[in-house]
Amino acid sequence: MSDSEESLVVAKDLGKRYGDFIALHPLNVKVSSGEFFGVFGPNGAGKSTFIKLLTGQLRPSIGAVEVLGINAAKSPQKLKANIGIVPESESPPSYLTPGEFLQFVGKLRGIEDLDSKVKYWMDWFGLQEKSDTMCKDLSKGQRQKVMLASAFIHEPKLLFLDEPFANLDPIYQRKCRQWLLDMVKKGGTIFLCSHVLEMAERMCNRMAIINHGKVLAAGTVKGLKESDEETLEDVFIRLVGHSIEEAERLSDEGVNEEE
Amino acid sequence: MSVSIQSSDWSDYSEQSHSNALGSTNAGMKLNTPLVGWAAFSATFRVMFVEEFRENLDFAKKRRILLFPLLVALVTMVATIGLQFLVGEGAAQGADTDSNSFTWDELRFALHLPLLFFSLGMGSFAFLGREKVLARTGTKNYLLASPALQPLTNPTAHFAYYVKDLTYYVMLILTPVISGMAIGILLESFTDVSTPLEYSSLPRTWVAMSVTLAQGLAFSFIASSLWLLGGWFSRLTPFFVVAIGTVIGLGLLPRQYFLWGLATQQPDGLILAIPALLASICLAWIASQLVLDDFEVKVVSKKEIFLPAWARLRFLGNGPLRLLVAKEAVDLIRSGSLKKMIVSYSVPLIVLLMMAWLVDFAEAPIPINLLSYAPFLGFFGFNFYSWLTALDSPEHMNGLPLSVPQLIRAKVTVYFLATTWISVIFLCLMAWRLDEWAVLPVGLIVMIANSIYIVCLTAFLMGLAPNKAIFDAKIMTWFWIGTVIPLLSLFLLSFTQGDVSFYENWADQVQDKGLQAEAVDFDNEKMATGFKGILAVSAGLVAAAILLMKLLDRKWGRAEFNN
Repeated sequence: MSDSEESLVVAKDLGKRYGDFIALHPLNVKVSSGEFFGVFGPNGAGKSTFIKLLTGQLRPSIGAVEVLGINAAKSPQKLKANIGIVPESESPPSYLTPGEFLQFVGKLRGIEDLDSKVKYWMDWFGLQEKSDTMCKDLSKGQRQKVMLASAFIHEPKLLFLDEPFANLDPIYQRKCRQWLLDMVKKGGTIFLCSHVLEMAERMCNRMAIINHGKVLAAGTVKGLKESDEETLEDVFIRLVGHSIEEAERLSDEGVNEEE
Repeated sequence: MSVSIQSSDWSDYSEQSHSNALGSTNAGMKLNTPLVGWAAFSATFRVMFVEEFRENLDFAKKRRILLFPLLVALVTMVATIGLQFLVGEGAAQGADTDSNSFTWDELRFALHLPLLFFSLGMGSFAFLGREKVLARTGTKNYLLASPALQPLTNPTAHFAYYVKDLTYYVMLILTPVISGMAIGILLESFTDVSTPLEYSSLPRTWVAMSVTLAQGLAFSFIASSLWLLGGWFSRLTPFFVVAIGTVIGLGLLPRQYFLWGLATQQPDGLILAIPALLASICLAWIASQLVLDDFEVKVVSKKEIFLPAWARLRFLGNGPLRLLVAKEAVDLIRSGSLKKMIVSYSVPLIVLLMMAWLVDFAEAPIPINLLSYAPFLGFFGFNFYSWLTALDSPEHMNGLPLSVPQLIRAKVTVYFLATTWISVIFLCLMAWRLDEWAVLPVGLIVMIANSIYIVCLTAFLMGLAPNKAIFDAKIMTWFWIGTVIPLLSLFLLSFTQGDVSFYENWADQVQDKGLQAEAVDFDNEKMATGFKGILAVSAGLVAAAILLMKLLDRKWGRAEFNN
């Protein structure tokens, strides 16, 4: 990546550890605009920690993050006002209706013409019939739609998505996928974490595979393959499978536990 | 258009400063400015209020939630009518009114002190916020956790929560209390009843009670915020709280200094309401500023304790009860709540111990003795049981071959294992303080019987959600009836045992009257009957508790796991 290109996301020596447990090894990253960048890895690889560090939800143990010119650790509120975040497993507040929640997040971001935007996204996600239902009484998929709408409502140019399509039905998966691809075409940038490799092949122009908090490989989807015959799943198993075997070997040798 | 990403091993990392800008850009985007200050507070407060109301409504249904303030008003109305007897103005009072009545100052104190304790118990918002943040990926999510994801600071969200709770309690509890007083006074116009209370004192009482509520919530809030800061703050906060308690308990400061609402209710004290309210709100604001924007979920590896706990519970058999009790014990230990719960359980017992000392010290004309306190020691199980139900979301059990009554029974069992020893210690302390060792065995029976009964009654009526049930008028009516009748019976029966310090005078009487000495201060036959009555009521309570546990299946057998 040439220095002349403008990066929306820059992290230097970004790392996170909890006591002896290293969730993310020191990592340098630069993402420029117009990217659909995917981070893939097995469960517990450090993907969610990575995204939480980039979005100011967690403070790094070492290093620094800057997104859209905003220091994520120093001004997390300003950063959150200008990006869209869809977390992996968080639900909207249980006792608000979808419309009330969208009004709330829209007001916090100081969005103009909020009523029409709330209506637009409620319609877009087919939530009109549930407008009087509290979020706790929605299905998982409907709650996920509310979370996606809350990330899209201010039409950010940079989105951080952690397993965004979990629980969505195929129709809305396709609809969202198309919307995201259109957004990237218009110059938007998306940072996506998942373990669903199909999403990488369908959507990402670049991807990284991480495991045990470390980047194992990065590049274009095609570039990561050793041959035309190799599937992305083969790549994943080649890279991650090896490290899992390594982990199991270490586990067999004994890991000290602390109380 | 490009991406570069690479990582290195932590062991290869050398400390570097990253104080300078890293060179990212907004690529010409117009950036949003998040709401701050009043605007952010206002937007958050409004939805938090809606959230609180919906949560209570969700559990208690509309009809019942409206009945709760009515019930509070009704109880206050009765108390207002009975006030004449308490202040010595009723026809039932004899000539010796000084020794059998309270002064207005004492009554005001009795109004504000429990309110302060209630608000202290409800105001640890920093703990609450932390719990909500940690539980935000669970099945329930709350606005208090929204700063983790939204452009909102934790201090703003917590301050809005304080103001919301204050407003909510003023509306739902204090206003019905004042309305009940007003109805009590109004009854004077239509019936023969009379009350010494006047309309003109009601606005002042409402303001004064609001001040006490605001103060208690703020004190508790700041204590929880300081505790969560960790380090020296965590160590110093309990010492500070104990020091304040000691200063107050020893009477080194006038009551009005620590009960700002009481000061407001004094003649010419109304002017203090504004500074007192402002001071409480400022304190709460400072407390909110101390809440860090910390959304970390610590990853800590722990030694296996489930199986060792299960192994120790052999006496519970091999069924699901043993497994569930072991699981609850693990929750209790791992959540770090055990200390907090033991402290919260012990605080009212300390107050009771202090009260026993005060009554003994003041030589009260009513023959209050160890048996009078014993039922109250058992009464505080409600709080502990509420904590137990809030430890973990039980919804994952919906897919397991378990039923809600089984989980309730496990929680009741954990309650006994965790608290009985504390109650026993306190009762022994009281026996020592009052020098009434002789009645300790009976006191223990009364205390344990009450403890068993109150928790079983709470569990039966409220299931896995006692925190919400307190706003359900129907449940609270039954709870009130179910607790007040036995408590009052035992309390009144305890008086038949007389002032047990009488035994100490026995030798003096024999010396004075020789063989003519007799227990002239109380009726031996009445005492024996009362003693049997106490034991009978205690046995009845144990039987009622067993029956309630049996009826759990009928009431909660088809319920889903939800708190």
